[in-house]
Amino acid sequence: MIRKSLILSILLLAVPYAAAFGAERFPPPEFESGYELPSPTTPSPRVDVFEYIDAVVLFAALSVGTYLVLKKRSRRWIFALMVFSLVYFGFYRKGCVCPIGAIQNAAMTVFDKSYAMPVVVLAFLILPFVFTLFFGRVFCAAVCPLGAIQDLFVLKPIAIPRWLDSSLRLFAYLYLGLGILFAATGSAFVICRYDPFVGFFRVTGSFNMIVAGICLLVIGIFIGRPYCRFLCPYSVILRQFSRISRWRVTITPDDCIQCRLCEDACPFGAIRSPAAKWRGEDYSVGKKRLALLLVLLGVLVVFGGWVASRASGWMARVDWRVRLADRVYLEETGKVSDTTDASAAFRATGEEIKELYAEASDIEAKMATGSWILGGFMGLVAGLKLVGHSVRRTRTDYEADRASCFACGRCFTYCPREHARLDKLKNKEEGK
Amino acid sequence: MKQSDSDNFETKGQWERTAVYSAWVAGVFSVVVAALLFVNYLQLKVLIPLREERLEAMKLKVADSSADAQLVGQIRQLDLDIRRDRIRGQGFSHRGSYLLLGGFIVLIAGAKLVSYLRKQLPHPEGQREGRAEQMQEANAGRWAITAGLIVVGAGALIFALMPTTDYGGSEVSSYPSAEDIAANWARFRGPGGLGISAYTNVPEKFDVEGGEGIVWKTAIPLAGFNSPIVWGERVFISGGDEKALQVYCYDAANGKLLWTGDVPRQGEEKVNPMEDTGFAAPTMVTDGRRVYAIFATGDIGCFDFTGKRLWAMNLGVPDNAYGHASSLAMYRNLVLVQLDQGQAEDEKSRLIALEGFSGGTVWEVKRRVSGSWTSPIVIETEKGPQIITCADPCMIAYKATNGAELWRADCLGPDVAPSAVYGNGLVYAIHPYTKLVAYRADGTGDVTETHIAWTADEGISDICSPLTNGKVVLVLTTDGLLTCYDAKDGKKLWDKELEEEFFASPSFVGEKVYLLSGKGVLIVADISGGYKDVARSELGEKCFASPGFADGRIYIRGEKNLYRIGNRAGE
Repeated sequence: MIRKSLILSILLLAVPYAAAFGAERFPPPEFESGYELPSPTTPSPRVDVFEYIDAVVLFAALSVGTYLVLKKRSRRWIFALMVFSLVYFGFYRKGCVCPIGAIQNAAMTVFDKSYAMPVVVLAFLILPFVFTLFFGRVFCAAVCPLGAIQDLFVLKPIAIPRWLDSSLRLFAYLYLGLGILFAATGSAFVICRYDPFVGFFRVTGSFNMIVAGICLLVIGIFIGRPYCRFLCPYSVILRQFSRISRWRVTITPDDCIQCRLCEDACPFGAIRSPAAKWRGEDYSVGKKRLALLLVLLGVLVVFGGWVASRASGWMARVDWRVRLADRVYLEETGKVSDTTDASAAFRATGEEIKELYAEASDIEAKMATGSWILGGFMGLVAGLKLVGHSVRRTRTDYEADRASCFACGRCFTYCPREHARLDKLKNKEEGK
Repeated sequence: MKQSDSDNFETKGQWERTAVYSAWVAGVFSVVVAALLFVNYLQLKVLIPLREERLEAMKLKVADSSADAQLVGQIRQLDLDIRRDRIRGQGFSHRGSYLLLGGFIVLIAGAKLVSYLRKQLPHPEGQREGRAEQMQEANAGRWAITAGLIVVGAGALIFALMPTTDYGGSEVSSYPSAEDIAANWARFRGPGGLGISAYTNVPEKFDVEGGEGIVWKTAIPLAGFNSPIVWGERVFISGGDEKALQVYCYDAANGKLLWTGDVPRQGEEKVNPMEDTGFAAPTMVTDGRRVYAIFATGDIGCFDFTGKRLWAMNLGVPDNAYGHASSLAMYRNLVLVQLDQGQAEDEKSRLIALEGFSGGTVWEVKRRVSGSWTSPIVIETEKGPQIITCADPCMIAYKATNGAELWRADCLGPDVAPSAVYGNGLVYAIHPYTKLVAYRADGTGDVTETHIAWTADEGISDICSPLTNGKVVLVLTTDGLLTCYDAKDGKKLWDKELEEEFFASPSFVGEKVYLLSGKGVLIVADISGGYKDVARSELGEKCFASPGFADGRIYIRGEKNLYRIGNRAGE
């Protein structure tokens, strides 16, 4: 009852909280007294050394996280590190630089020769990759501030079916694809622009994004880490690295005794139960289905590319230059009679309209090519997921799914073998 | 052992109660803060905008009755109140956000602790994960993926239906090319304001009475002293009086008045320009897509080539003894307005760059000069484009892109009317009745002594602008004395008394100079080897405006009529 009341009070606070952050600025007065507005000054950039300190802190946090997840196996300490990361990378560093957004920097570096990715941003992108490749998703466990803030809200988790979990994850792939496409074309850093939690870290932000963040946190009370599972583009990459990681989280420190106590321990639905053997007739049908799906894979890639390419015109409108060209075109053809701030500013530069049109057309062409790739990628992902749901798996123990496990350590304490290990350790220490 | 369990249970209970109470206190605190913030938000988003609407309404009212001091006081008070409340509201919002954040942290911590302490041990029941169940789950997974794919695909196709722009007219330019400018007569004295025709096939003689060489003649509705400007097959002039300010567009082929555009008078201030200046002395300017006109009232308007008024505004009535006469000029898409007025110490003079399409001010610079009647010219130099302006007491060059002052020469005096011309790296300007000066245009700062090339003081004009082809500089006085100087060193080469009165500035067509007198006599003279009369033709009406030149044609504005001189099509 009390827990329900608390959850209710959090829900009640949601909208006013958005209102608190959503207050906007207002224009300067029109002075008639001859007073001249002072020129705006740009604050000095943060001293470079602090950026390197951030990278060092990231490395240290990943190292400590790895130790806590794999060696110490302590949820309590993982939680403590998670809170530290939330405070440092979230509230202190205001959620920037973050590895999630760094994907876009990397994409832009590859496709835009005039852009060079800062070393620190590269470090933020690469370090979690390397750690995941060797130790699983320790970054998600205790270092990512976006994961941390959601983790705090996991109060009344409910299990969602795997089929739903799997299909919803398509949106994360789509978000990743769009993020890279828009960054590669120099259109926008949508992953940063639509970061739902950065408004909390900065105690300011657009009303819409604050509301979006609140919605995700409220959903997160019942569905653990919804952003990480169904939207986070970085998570998509980490999942793949985690599949092949050298070491990883195990529920039991040694042998699984099939006690099933850990079955519902994971609020993120990452624990897989042992898989029974296929029956003969199932195997035969499954083989045919698999063959069909493998053939379908190519079709899905082409069809996805075609569908996405149809929407490339709309996607190009994410780019401000294309929107500006549209607006100027409307003005030039007399379809609108006024100018916007953006079009008036463009005209004040004296730049050529035809060059703007050419630039917009160039972006549209790039977007058309990119959307073919994006659509093909989405078709491939969906196809592989269909294949993934159709292959025979053998599993004898309860295991944390390599890709889905956030390495949060919640399952450790459900395992009797873990308690035995801890007792053994305690006795050993007492014996000393 | 039992005692220990009991202690643990008791301790756990205490922790749980503490967590619950803390969470509740934090929750209530947060709710109160949040409620206050929400009220504050409503005030910022709803109430203050309502008051701002009231303020705007009051501002409009004061524009109608400027003498209402009480209303002005109320506006100031309300403006102050609104700003004060906004700043307070934002401060409250900022501080409240932190308080709310603190409340949330305690609330979440309490809720987490309660959740942790009330955690139930798992009780796995029955058999799970049978093969049938796994097959069923896999099947559901495939369907779900298919559904997800359909959702994403349908979303993409819906977005595909949204309209996008096909930039069919992608050749649209923000401003005309140098070639287009050179081929047309888009401003006072044509390309660069230099008075040099791009065409040499221009007629030298005509006969109004016999009709020879007169393609058409058409009446001008309202008077004006501005010169015709020409773009392609369109000829533009403006006219005005105390009741109306108008722009006229004529078909170059037949002289038909295609449209008349009205520039609305804004402001109630009475304007009394001298009769010799009138309401429409400044020559218009065009960029090939739009035309711009300014009048003695300070009203400026923009029309497209179909006659649709795109914008109009009032820059304030220029405080000018004779009436505003400075013609408009353009740099790329910027309409340049030289609004010289009053005395230098009044600091009322300005050079304004308006964006052509919207009329928005791109930049504006104050000029510490007195009222003048000159027109700005834009020159291309090695250091970039410059806007050259002449007024009492300085010739000043500005950077065309942003209006930054580049150089100035203290070389002019009162009542400057002739505009500057440029050739061979030298800018030529006239101090009326006193001297002709030539300055190098590559200086910075005060170049009065450092960049002067030469000066001359014979036969100096007071109204007509000088003319140069890079080899010679011609100066024409109002009473008809034409003096020729060597452009390089200012050495006087010859002079010629023309025995006519002149207000229009001279023009070059090849090696011949075209001079239009106040009585309407067009004198064509060959000056390649000194002065030699080539032809004289009488228009039959007074002329004050400089003629406009096009391919095989001359456009002349008489006192009452506009003429096209040349051969008829096909002849």
